Amino acid sequence: MNYQFDWAVVTSGKYFEWLVSGVVVTVKISVVSIALSFLLGLVIAVMRMSRFRPVYWFAHGYLEFFRNTPLLVQIFFWYFGSYKVLPDAVNQWLNAQGFEFAAAVIALTIYTSAFIAEDIRSGVRSIPKEQMEAARSAGFSYVRSMFYIILPQAVRLTIPPLINQFLNLTKNSSLAMTIGVAELMYQARQVESYTFKGFEAFSAATVVYVGLSFAITGLMTLYDRKVLQPIKVR
Amino acid sequence: MARKTALVIAAAALVAAMFGSALAADTLADVKKKGVLVAGVKDSTPPFGSVDPNTKEYVGYDVDFIRAIAKKAGVKAEFQPVTSANRMPMLQEGRVDILAATMTKTPERAKQIDFSYTYFLTGQKFLTKVGTVKSLKDLEGKAIGTAKGSTSEQNVAKAVPSAKILSFDDYPQAVLALIQGKVIAVTTDESILAGQLGKLEKNPASKGKFEIPDVQISEEPYGLGMRKGDTNWVKFVNDTILEMEKSGEAKKLFDKYFAPDGDNPMKRGTFKITADERGIK
Repeated sequence: MNYQFDWAVVTSGKYFEWLVSGVVVTVKISVVSIALSFLLGLVIAVMRMSRFRPVYWFAHGYLEFFRNTPLLVQIFFWYFGSYKVLPDAVNQWLNAQGFEFAAAVIALTIYTSAFIAEDIRSGVRSIPKEQMEAARSAGFSYVRSMFYIILPQAVRLTIPPLINQFLNLTKNSSLAMTIGVAELMYQARQVESYTFKGFEAFSAATVVYVGLSFAITGLMTLYDRKVLQPIKVR
Repeated sequence: MARKTALVIAAAALVAAMFGSALAADTLADVKKKGVLVAGVKDSTPPFGSVDPNTKEYVGYDVDFIRAIAKKAGVKAEFQPVTSANRMPMLQEGRVDILAATMTKTPERAKQIDFSYTYFLTGQKFLTKVGTVKSLKDLEGKAIGTAKGSTSEQNVAKAVPSAKILSFDDYPQAVLALIQGKVIAVTTDESILAGQLGKLEKNPASKGKFEIPDVQISEEPYGLGMRKGDTNWVKFVNDTILEMEKSGEAKKLFDKYFAPDGDNPMKRGTFKITADERGIK
């Protein structure tokens, strides 16, 4: 193998711009999906702990279904499968908007929210049940006790597993290339198919993913240390 | 310590095994020694390479060329499915001996691998819903689907710069996106489009709704791909396909897969396999 390395391909010029535009899309997908999946995860976790049976069953079914099917299948489901069930007018409108990005965000959000919900639930379970009893006897409704007393404590405990889920989500966003979303992996492959410099292109992508992951871990840890720990109940 | 040494030796052996076949410069001798010719072909791109649902055998124009070459060399042909994106690495890593995978000859590719003479000549066109595309103008600013890693992607980006190109993993997905209106056209070599159109025509739900308008944006000469500097092997393959042209076997193969009343109606025109340099100069 006499492979000639040519790093200039990915550090300057047209191909560098492609990779940068890929990074932008990856960051966009990740940030939007992280925010949405956290909110959705919270809601599902609360529903999962509800004593109202239909709500509990719905949340339970949601968790099991979306945790136990491959993400790639879910991406195809939202992108190609939704076409069959939606009315024509909606489909045309979606296609005109460029549905790829939205389909990727929906799939990533729903898939990750199922995991996040379980993490939050285990956080809630680690809060002593007396806290709930105290809140209820102080006159808070169930939902209010959850949102004002229990969840704020539980989410703090959940930070480390949440970091895991956010990291997974960021890396999973690479699957969006299968439906033509021009994110980082898509662009890296694009550079490879134009230049045959696959090694350089994918190395660059690797460096970016590692960088993004460090950034997420760093930000979450910082948030935990500066904001959450000082107000943590001991 | 002994364990560590053993590990190092095992790792070295693994690396040697990985690169060993790639370093072997004479594939012809290799193939004859093994008694098997391993070819990379497409497995979902009729009429070039696909798996017959009844017999589970590989069939197609590309596949038949490989069978002819294997027969000439007196060995068995074995097929390995490849995609547009992974076929060059598969060849360079030595996992296949030859590529017959609807591959267009280009100067950039010719720097990485060696090509045979052109064994098939086509051009890039568009598959669309009937009446939606009359000229390139109708495509401006629209979404166009194709497959990753193909020259089609690069040609259409040049021909219609304002279009939004959506690259899917393979052509069936691009066609699905076309059916659902997510793209206005699927673009690649006419020969591949003809195969997809043939499938659409067989389905009563889509029969008569799709067409390939007469809008061509490039000439695509297909070549068989072989590892760079594998001179004996390239010469053997070239001699074989020239012979097939002379004996009329090449034309027979074309008529078998592209007959006007068949699944992939195309015209051979004046094309003949000759010692050409199409695409690589």
